[in-house]
Amino acid sequence: MKNLVISAVVFFVTFGIGYGINEAYLADRAPAQPIEFSHTIHAGDNSIPCMYCHIYAKRSRHAGVPNVQRCMGCHKIIKTDSPEVIKLVGYWDKKEPIPWVKVHNLPDHVYFPHKRHIRAGLECKECHGDVASMSRVKRVSPLKMGWCLKCHTKKKVENGRDCWTCHI
Amino acid sequence: MKRRDFIKYLGAGGIGTAMGIFFGKNTKPPGAKLIPYLVPPEEIVPGVGAWYSTLCAQCGAGCGIIVKVMAGRAKKIEGNPLHPVSRGRLCAMGQAAPQGLYNPDRIKGPLKRAGSRGSESFMEVSWEEALRTLAENLAGLKVKGSAEGLYVLAPPLRGHLDALIRDFTATFGSPNYLPYDLFDNRNLAFANAVSMGMESLPHYDIENTRYLVSFGADFSSTWLSPVNLSYGYGQMRQGSPGVRGTLVQVEPRMSLTGANADEWVPARPGTEGLVALAMAHVIVAEGRYRGREARQWRSLLEAFSPVEVAKVSEVEEKRIERLAHEFASTRPSLAIGGDVLSGYTDGVSGLVAVNILNHVAGNIGVKGGVVPNPVDPFFSAPGRDFTRSISTVRDAAESGALKTLLTYNANPLFTTPDNLRLRESLDKVPFMASLSSFMDETTAMADLVLPVHHFLEDWADDFCSPSVGKPVATIMQPAVSPKYNTMGAGDVFLELARRLRHEREKALSGGTEILGEFMDERFSVKDFQEHLKRSWRELHAKDRRLSGGNPTFEGFWNRLLKDGGWWPEGAPMEKGPAVRVKDVAAYMPKGASMFEGEEAKHPFYLMVYPQAGLLDGRGANSPWLQELPDPMTSVVWGSWVEINPATAMKLGIKEGEMVTVESPYGKIDAPAYLYPGIRPDTVAVPIGQGHRSYGRYAKETGANPMDILPSLQDKGSGALSLNSTRVNVSRSPKPGWMVKIEATKKEYGREIVQTVTPEEFERMNKEAT
Repeated sequence: MKNLVISAVVFFVTFGIGYGINEAYLADRAPAQPIEFSHTIHAGDNSIPCMYCHIYAKRSRHAGVPNVQRCMGCHKIIKTDSPEVIKLVGYWDKKEPIPWVKVHNLPDHVYFPHKRHIRAGLECKECHGDVASMSRVKRVSPLKMGWCLKCHTKKKVENGRDCWTCHI
Repeated sequence: MKRRDFIKYLGAGGIGTAMGIFFGKNTKPPGAKLIPYLVPPEEIVPGVGAWYSTLCAQCGAGCGIIVKVMAGRAKKIEGNPLHPVSRGRLCAMGQAAPQGLYNPDRIKGPLKRAGSRGSESFMEVSWEEALRTLAENLAGLKVKGSAEGLYVLAPPLRGHLDALIRDFTATFGSPNYLPYDLFDNRNLAFANAVSMGMESLPHYDIENTRYLVSFGADFSSTWLSPVNLSYGYGQMRQGSPGVRGTLVQVEPRMSLTGANADEWVPARPGTEGLVALAMAHVIVAEGRYRGREARQWRSLLEAFSPVEVAKVSEVEEKRIERLAHEFASTRPSLAIGGDVLSGYTDGVSGLVAVNILNHVAGNIGVKGGVVPNPVDPFFSAPGRDFTRSISTVRDAAESGALKTLLTYNANPLFTTPDNLRLRESLDKVPFMASLSSFMDETTAMADLVLPVHHFLEDWADDFCSPSVGKPVATIMQPAVSPKYNTMGAGDVFLELARRLRHEREKALSGGTEILGEFMDERFSVKDFQEHLKRSWRELHAKDRRLSGGNPTFEGFWNRLLKDGGWWPEGAPMEKGPAVRVKDVAAYMPKGASMFEGEEAKHPFYLMVYPQAGLLDGRGANSPWLQELPDPMTSVVWGSWVEINPATAMKLGIKEGEMVTVESPYGKIDAPAYLYPGIRPDTVAVPIGQGHRSYGRYAKETGANPMDILPSLQDKGSGALSLNSTRVNVSRSPKPGWMVKIEATKKEYGREIVQTVTPEEFERMNKEAT
């Protein structure tokens, strides 16, 4: 009986550890996307500014993914023979949005506004890493509370350590 | 530890870790997809709300509201700060409007009756078929020459939708467009019309008064225009430094307003009007009345001396005199009457008595008194029709004169006494169509259900009544696009007109003209939005007040939509009519109001009142409003019977126990709530619960007191008399429970309500300064 209890306790503790290991080390930080969109070409080689496509970052909590019309704005003319652009045109012709896979995902109980961070003068890459050199976007930050707080503390953010700042 | 055990634990740990990883891998966090817009709508920024101004249609008060819309969804509603009626405030019902819009029980497309009438079995049909069915039915009526067999029942609408339905019905050839709502202030409008000649409800200027006597009017919960009047009440109490207006509430059951009052006067039910007249008697008898006809007033009020009235009303003579003195000497003062008072069998007399009291104290047409409202300034809508009421519909259905009944957002089957026998009568109606968003009791009886837009999806306008002493027009514009396969109410009528015109053309080519004139250009617009805009274009061209600051119509229209409506700057007009002896003499009460039932068999007066948040039952399908604790009892999700603790003790009833309330007309069961704020000879039950239909949240929750009311109507106004019966209360064997937020009414030394004596307060004040 005692054995069983200890086994159960060990099981549950290690279950949590396993879940944590997965979250921290094994989770897919660079998931495959429906279109192999390359930030290297767009943001790197052609140095298109981030906020040319992620237009809402400055004025909303969401940075926003570019709408399909914006992609087509250029790709009606540019590189129309590339297989990935052909995929894009396929979505456009079907009038379907592209179901991108989220790389940076926060739980619902966190209120994270892009707007405030941009207005505070943060560079996009401070959290997102050097996206311009990523052909497939990879999450480089843990996006855990400790990580948020470390930065808030270092930069002496007003009320930066208050629970209600993020959990509203 | 044994080696064997260690290996076991190691095994358990290994399996645990592996399963943890496996579990994490296979449970993706929700919302892990990023779906962009194909083509972004111009005004939408994801994550940032856009506020649209529109009109709240939850009740008839006509508050201007602003709606926060995020990515096409209505998220939050507040009062429109620019709007003179709501003034940036909003009540619980308005706040709960998104739960009407996104209610899972909304009717999602047109329905046709499949089973027997009232069985709620319907089949889905297309709009084409639904509209064709209705148009053919109407054309059939016309062919048979019985166009006047069409009855249209709608809540009292006031804007261009009202005009459109009126025009449609009249053009079709029927005079039977009847506004109906349980709480549409018929008695008040009638009393004001006969005693002051007022065609529109006045503005009761609570904000600027110093002494307010309310005869039963619960203006903080449901009466007249609760948002506006509650704001005014706040201003009366705290708006100007050093001045705190006094509130006296005369009513047998303490309402929320009564609980806020400085003085609660529990007059015997049915005698509040007499108390008002006794106060008027004192003012006139002491020569404080300075107006005309002093002698005639003196003789008219002769019979209502405080001595006599004190005998029936159980309000002491001295108290009446003191109230009268305070009322007459505090300037400005104001008396209002409603709710309980207007629900008596002689409710009109009581309300006339309040007008008399205001007249003799010189309160009509002054700031802080009764401020008249201009009659609908923009187009000449006919005044209220007091000759026809809901019983007209019953009689027409009974005699077979009613051939087709069209209801729009009206639910008379729930809001009329069972004793009116409306259900049985409507069963005889050959064809019933209902324009409604929900499967309410009346819609469940319909042969054809045409689901209309929620007001947050529709176009309309409104000319507030009561307004605030100046005209206020409010525009309803869609804050979100329609969620289901519904149509705007105005669009339905325009589409019917189009189809009837088509039928007429068909008939003409056959050589006979059978259908009325739907050729008029009023009916030939594309949709109701265009109709509305065109009507406003005409008003703009006609009325200089509208075009003054906005010479072009497009500019004016855009401002209209942005501000939420139009209202002139400046103070309200302050000139009022006089109450004349000859007009009111016929409405003097003959004594206390009559109640059905013998005192021996039915010892208690029954007071019914609209529950805050549910009103006439329309709020019962919203979980937010259901779980909103009643302000006085804190009960949620159900009905209750308010009984004085002394009475309950005598009857052996404990709090929360099921009791049977029995009138000569039926009985209902509900849990008892021991309420010290009610007279021992009175019990009270709120209206709003006890639905048979109306969706999962409303259905079979609580009891409906309308089931046990007699079907009495005021002869003059046609309003139903709600407080008109006596009841007996006994313990019920039925199981039941009451859920309430409060645990106990006692303080147990917790010092929740701290009190000081006036002397002590004075001393503390002195010490502080």
